[in-house]
Amino acid sequence: MTTRIPTGRDYSALVQEDRVHSAIFTDEQIFQDEMERIFHTTWLFALHESEIPNAGDFKRLQIGRYPVIATRDEQGEIHLLINRCRHRGAQVCESSHGNTRRFQCWYHGWTYDTRGDLVGLTGPEAYDKDFKCDAHGLTRIPRVESYRGFVFASVAREGMSLSDYLGSTKPYIDIMVDASPIGELQVKPGVVNRTRYRGNWKQVGMDGYHPHYVHMSVFKIFSKRESTTGSAVGALHLEDPFADVSKSRTRGFPHGHACLDFREQRRPHADASIEELRRSEEGARYVDDMISAYGEERARDLIAWHGDPHLGLFPNLQLIHDHVRVVIPISPGETEVLMYPVFLKGVGPSINEKRLRAHEAFYGPAAAGSPDDAEIFERTQRGLLADADPWVQLGRGIHREEVDEDGSVASCISDEITQRAQMQEWKKLMTRG
Amino acid sequence: MAQQIVKAMPEVIHQGIVDTQTQQRLERFLALEAALMDAHEYDRWLALWDSDEVLYWVPCNSDEQDPSTGIAIIYDDRTRLLERIMRLKDKTAHAYRPLAKLVRSVSGVLPLSVDGDEMEVAASFVLGETRVGQQNLWLGKTLYRLVDTANGFRIRSKKVMLLNNDDAMPNLTFLV
Repeated sequence: MTTRIPTGRDYSALVQEDRVHSAIFTDEQIFQDEMERIFHTTWLFALHESEIPNAGDFKRLQIGRYPVIATRDEQGEIHLLINRCRHRGAQVCESSHGNTRRFQCWYHGWTYDTRGDLVGLTGPEAYDKDFKCDAHGLTRIPRVESYRGFVFASVAREGMSLSDYLGSTKPYIDIMVDASPIGELQVKPGVVNRTRYRGNWKQVGMDGYHPHYVHMSVFKIFSKRESTTGSAVGALHLEDPFADVSKSRTRGFPHGHACLDFREQRRPHADASIEELRRSEEGARYVDDMISAYGEERARDLIAWHGDPHLGLFPNLQLIHDHVRVVIPISPGETEVLMYPVFLKGVGPSINEKRLRAHEAFYGPAAAGSPDDAEIFERTQRGLLADADPWVQLGRGIHREEVDEDGSVASCISDEITQRAQMQEWKKLMTRG
Repeated sequence: MAQQIVKAMPEVIHQGIVDTQTQQRLERFLALEAALMDAHEYDRWLALWDSDEVLYWVPCNSDEQDPSTGIAIIYDDRTRLLERIMRLKDKTAHAYRPLAKLVRSVSGVLPLSVDGDEMEVAASFVLGETRVGQQNLWLGKTLYRLVDTANGFRIRSKKVMLLNNDDAMPNLTFLV
């Protein structure tokens, strides 16, 4: 589907084990090659299947360079169709999401159904008798697979399965899904924070080193609260999850995935979370339903973990706290970030409402956390342009990495394993023949 | 919001439902509020709010998205509003430093309903922001619930409907 542009550049020289060259964040040609060699070859997150639950539901999204319409057809199957009329190339869908039976191009009236098939050819008598409508449907993204409702797409016709790509990150995805007592999430296409920053897309990563500095004001304010159980930064009143003496770990997986693993650090907080939940009727029911669904031990863990895997799936998805985050590169120096709060199915409305307020407190353009991140990414982009000394250090903790049973590499929460995992995958994909 | 004005009672549009003096007091009050926000005078701005339950709401995705089933850009009760002011004033909140330079123009000040000492008032604003070499233009409509007290108007609730609340936006690190 994609013609890979040969490049004479030696990208392997730009990524060392403990450092990367700043050109990978600022160079226009490298950005174009990233689109071809990363975004048009690997698996990308597309949408959550609950965003288009009914026949005829659709949502527009971006897959690499391609504007795409995700649809659900009459048979309930999901399709990812490139939003480009096969006649002269106009986009056939402009609404962000909705429900329809047909997509009609406003240029000359060609009409497609929700499977992308060309079902309305205007003035057909003027076309050659050999013209085949079935060869002129909307172009499909060739590979679409899903894991527990998360739908991924690959523009490459061949490649590893999604299951192999996700590998040992799957139990982390389960943490988010199994926060619902019926193991189902709802993502709403119209409930999203959309933000934009003037910085490179690779800045939005997992980073356990930055919170004490970038989010200093948040720590100050939250430390004045009586309770932060369930808040976006976890149970800070008990201990600091970002201290190297805590049980939090940073983790790198094959294929560039990365995680801030708070499981062991949060596990002892199950009692406090359950006690707080039991103070309300719906909270108590949630605890009971979780225990009957998953058993006491697993339910306690899931409640302590707040449905937060803090997982980054290379290159465009992050599952953080209460939300699904999608990273959309616009140019080397501009990135759009979409943050969709997830709703738990099978719980009382007050549970989801509390999660919404917790999300809102930290995330979004006027919240306590997101602006700090966007600001530092912009300062970084301005600084990186000064490339007299071009190397960016990512070596923190490289001497204390350990390989875990699941094949991931783990170390202290503030170590830069996450960045190294992402950059090694970047290097692999950018230099692949 | 525009619909609320378009569909308002004819007297709201034609005669107005407050006397000219009240209208002038309202316009002065909103001009003062705008100046305090522009000048980052956070404590003096906070003093314009009523002492009882308050709501400072900046909807996200649409002007009417229900905060019980959707998100907001800002959805502050008094506790959250006080934390917001703490952060706006905090020198370690680096996204707010250097401070943005702001100037806004408030117009279309229109009382929509009066109920005893409380009134609902609509207004529009144009806000220019410059910070670190970047200029942004913010536009929106605001719906206030104001209470008329012996010390002047006080804000009970304020809903700010940004024109771009359904689009990607940069940091909003100041008051609107």
